[in-house]
Amino acid sequence: MKSPALWLVLLALSLAGSARAEDAKLKACFVYVGPVGDIGWSHAHDEARKLTMKALPWLETQYVESVPEGQALPVIDRLVKGGCQVVFTTSFGFMDQTLEAARKYPKVVFAHATGFKRAPNMATYMADFYQIYYLNGLMAGALTKTGKVGYVGAFPIPELKRHISAFAMGVRAVNPQATVNVKWISAWVSPVKAREAAEALMAEGNDVLAFTEDTATVVQVAGRKKVPSFAHYSPMQRFAPDFVVSGQLVHWEKIYIDFLSKVRNGTYAPGKLQEVDYWWLLREGAVEMGGQPGVPINPKFVDALKKAQMTVGGKQVSVHDRVQELLKDMSSSKPGFDPFTGPLQDRHGATRVPAGKTLTKEELNQMQWVAPGVTGPVADEPK
Amino acid sequence: MIRLEQEPRPRRAKVLGVYLGMGVVAFALTGGVFAAYGVSPWEVYRALLEGTLGERQGLAEVLRRTLPLLLIGGGLTLAFRVGFFNIGAEGQLLMGAVGGTAVALFLPPGALSLPLMFLAGAVTGGLWALPAAWLRSRVDVNEILTTLMLNAVASSFVLYLVSGPWRGEQVQGYTYTDAFPDAASLPVLGETLVHWPTGVLGVVVALALQVLLTRTSLGYALRVVGASPRAARYAGLPTQRVVLLTGLLSGGAAGLAGVGEVAGIHHRLLDPTQLSLGYGFTAIIVAWLARGHPALVLLTAPLMGVILAGGDLLKISFNMPFRVIDVFSGVLLFCLISGEALARYRVRWGR
Amino acid sequence: MIDEMLQALLRALSFGTPLLLACLGTLVNERAGVVNLGVEGMMALGALTAFSVATETESLWLAVALSLVAGALAALLHGFVTLTLRANAYVSGLALTMLGLGVSGLLGNRYEGAILLEPAPELPFTVAAGVLAVGLWAFLYATRPGLVLRSVGENPAAADVLGVSVGGVRYLAVAFGGALAGLAGAFLSLAYRPAWTDGMTAGLGWIAVALVIFVGWSPLRAVLGSLFFGLLYYLQFRLQDQSRVPTELFAAMPYLLVVGVLALAGLRRTQGSAPAALGKPYHRGER
Repeated sequence: MKSPALWLVLLALSLAGSARAEDAKLKACFVYVGPVGDIGWSHAHDEARKLTMKALPWLETQYVESVPEGQALPVIDRLVKGGCQVVFTTSFGFMDQTLEAARKYPKVVFAHATGFKRAPNMATYMADFYQIYYLNGLMAGALTKTGKVGYVGAFPIPELKRHISAFAMGVRAVNPQATVNVKWISAWVSPVKAREAAEALMAEGNDVLAFTEDTATVVQVAGRKKVPSFAHYSPMQRFAPDFVVSGQLVHWEKIYIDFLSKVRNGTYAPGKLQEVDYWWLLREGAVEMGGQPGVPINPKFVDALKKAQMTVGGKQVSVHDRVQELLKDMSSSKPGFDPFTGPLQDRHGATRVPAGKTLTKEELNQMQWVAPGVTGPVADEPK
Repeated sequence: MIRLEQEPRPRRAKVLGVYLGMGVVAFALTGGVFAAYGVSPWEVYRALLEGTLGERQGLAEVLRRTLPLLLIGGGLTLAFRVGFFNIGAEGQLLMGAVGGTAVALFLPPGALSLPLMFLAGAVTGGLWALPAAWLRSRVDVNEILTTLMLNAVASSFVLYLVSGPWRGEQVQGYTYTDAFPDAASLPVLGETLVHWPTGVLGVVVALALQVLLTRTSLGYALRVVGASPRAARYAGLPTQRVVLLTGLLSGGAAGLAGVGEVAGIHHRLLDPTQLSLGYGFTAIIVAWLARGHPALVLLTAPLMGVILAGGDLLKISFNMPFRVIDVFSGVLLFCLISGEALARYRVRWGR
Repeated sequence: MIDEMLQALLRALSFGTPLLLACLGTLVNERAGVVNLGVEGMMALGALTAFSVATETESLWLAVALSLVAGALAALLHGFVTLTLRANAYVSGLALTMLGLGVSGLLGNRYEGAILLEPAPELPFTVAAGVLAVGLWAFLYATRPGLVLRSVGENPAAADVLGVSVGGVRYLAVAFGGALAGLAGAFLSLAYRPAWTDGMTAGLGWIAVALVIFVGWSPLRAVLGSLFFGLLYYLQFRLQDQSRVPTELFAAMPYLLVVGVLALAGLRRTQGSAPAALGKPYHRGER
């Protein structure tokens, strides 16, 4: 069709080929569901992309932001055409189209975040916060005076159900009478809804707040009312330096660096990915506890947490020490503690985890029940 | 001082000239935006043209973006001609998708699945426009307000369905329905996402509405009601029923578009923000450019399709923020309507 | 109980403030006969202008002032296209929405995640909005310029005969509408949620456009209308677990109620009527 252009491309290719082959770069492309500008999910992936670039000099990257779910395939088409050898799709909604693309381009490596479908050239990956939510819950339980902890939730999906449940289990481990009260806003990014939901929670007497939403709104609103809160996903402590207790931070770059290095050295060649499923937690350093990097607990709250006592195995310990101990344990190479270890019941009293069992990754990913202490409507909850 | 005088019958050459002139202005303005963003405007425009119309994949994307615009645009053109300012196509599209999904999920799959889905979508989409049309015709409640409010309601309703009663068994708790059976999925062109039956439907609807409007006595009534409701009343035309019918038709067309999106692309019902993508609002432009002739959307819908697909391309090829598309279409739209207005006037300097 | 009601009222006042501001502005330009659906875009521009100026200069006054200017300038673009060039006002308004959201999203990128050291208090905005509502009411019904404004919207030909510059009044009214939309944006990014996020106006501009019709173009009813909507918006969260209605459907309540109230008002013939020349271009010697 355009023969001069074609000749140019061929010429360029042969030139590149005659240059040292080992200098050839690996091109990885990222498909984001949201804008990279805000401080939420897609932003975190993009920060990780930049860090990965810094760590791997042979890496070349490209990203596309705000890709609607129905449009992943045409975007991937273009990316592959543009020379992408590895494609990361970072939203659950991209799952089926990523799978289709994997079939269409058997020589390209695909990795899909949060999903459960794999192929010989398509892996899955996830960095999860549930352990940190349990630790955050311990602190929230120690800090609440009213026994009511508020939670602003985006959507009632398994990820949030396990986070809220882990959080509630933490709260109740310190304060067995306390409740975690959930308000749903049905949006990932909505400062307006987050604010009104947080206001409603505070009006109902909740004196500690946590949330899942892609802005720092809840932290700001709570800070104004001098209510302690927990940051979500990004370093939000700076939005209310005196009132953010702790929070959850993500390090997707740990996964990206590991994955891409293995693609580079051939471990993850197309055809070898059917069983590759990253489920990285504290142990792998893919997640971090804190409202800002390097600050697991805001120093302003350390005293209060040291004073607060809880019973562990019949012994009194301070909440602060318990948090530190568990954090250390779960960050070690052989964690001994997991919040979802039985016997556990759901909030209606049905046994969900028998004694001696721990929930598997698959069970956590499909979790529909919520733990005792969670109040508020929860869609699609098994009765 | 600038003064404008009306020129009832501008020469065609002048109209064309003014449009072209404003087009150039639009491209110059957006070119400025690109330059400010640090990319050569020439390169962007070349890539845009090549990437949308100059290659098969690009053309497929243009078509895919055109399909819903064709259907909604045709219906809205009719609605605007009748003076029913329906800006609720977004919600009507969603409800159409709900209707189609109900058939796909709860009726046994078969050869009739797809026709039934479209039928159900047209009915639910049309019915969703009905309260607004009824309130407008019976008690003179402004339809801009009601259709807009009903958009938000439709969105909540879809969210309710996918996170509650219709949530799928195979989606691990995420807010989606299960995938449709194959019989409820539209065929596509090759390896693209162009669900062509929706396009055929769009062409048929546009032409049918054009015939209805210009060749039937009902169409005459529609035009009179649109041109002068008072005259329509004097002439004894059933104004109320005309408005109700307009609501049904335009909402129904948007409903068809909704079925196309779920049956052709997503194969399931999902989060409303991922489903409608603002087609209901973009189609207002399509309809307005068609100037009261539903058949003209066959030209104006692809035009907006090129702009939407071009915007996607900017995002991918130049890593531009997605908001570039809004700036681009906003500026273009301003220039187009200004050009249209200018062509009808003669500019006079001084008094 | 009293506490709860007070809290709900406070939320209604806070959430209602940007709605009232934008609604009053739109009301004025519609009273002059001009439709401007671009409120959402102007609000976004105002929000970004205010936030960027506040972070760069640390002057809240300047931030507020420039948000007014930004809104007014955006509205004047709409005015030029619809009043001077006489292009379709509905489409122009949509174009303005796209442009406003697009430009603010594009330029606002570098302010995502930025922090305002000293957020503005909400109260002054709320008080200003309330005072403005009463002032506008007095202006429209008790002063000569107010009468002129209304006549331009009701019967521009007659106003013209009396020596009123119809175009001039309409331009002023449009600029005023834009300025108030900009101020509503400033409230959002400086006080309500002191930060900038792309799309943070969250459809409030559209709600304001709807509210103008809802309150029948009356500044005093605009106060009640925006309080009503603000209250409903808050209550969808406050009452979330106290009814058997599913959460997602509960979120539709504010919108459904507006339609319902309007339908009732229409049925009982108590709805305010639109200015007679609303949306109709006027030029001397043409009918």
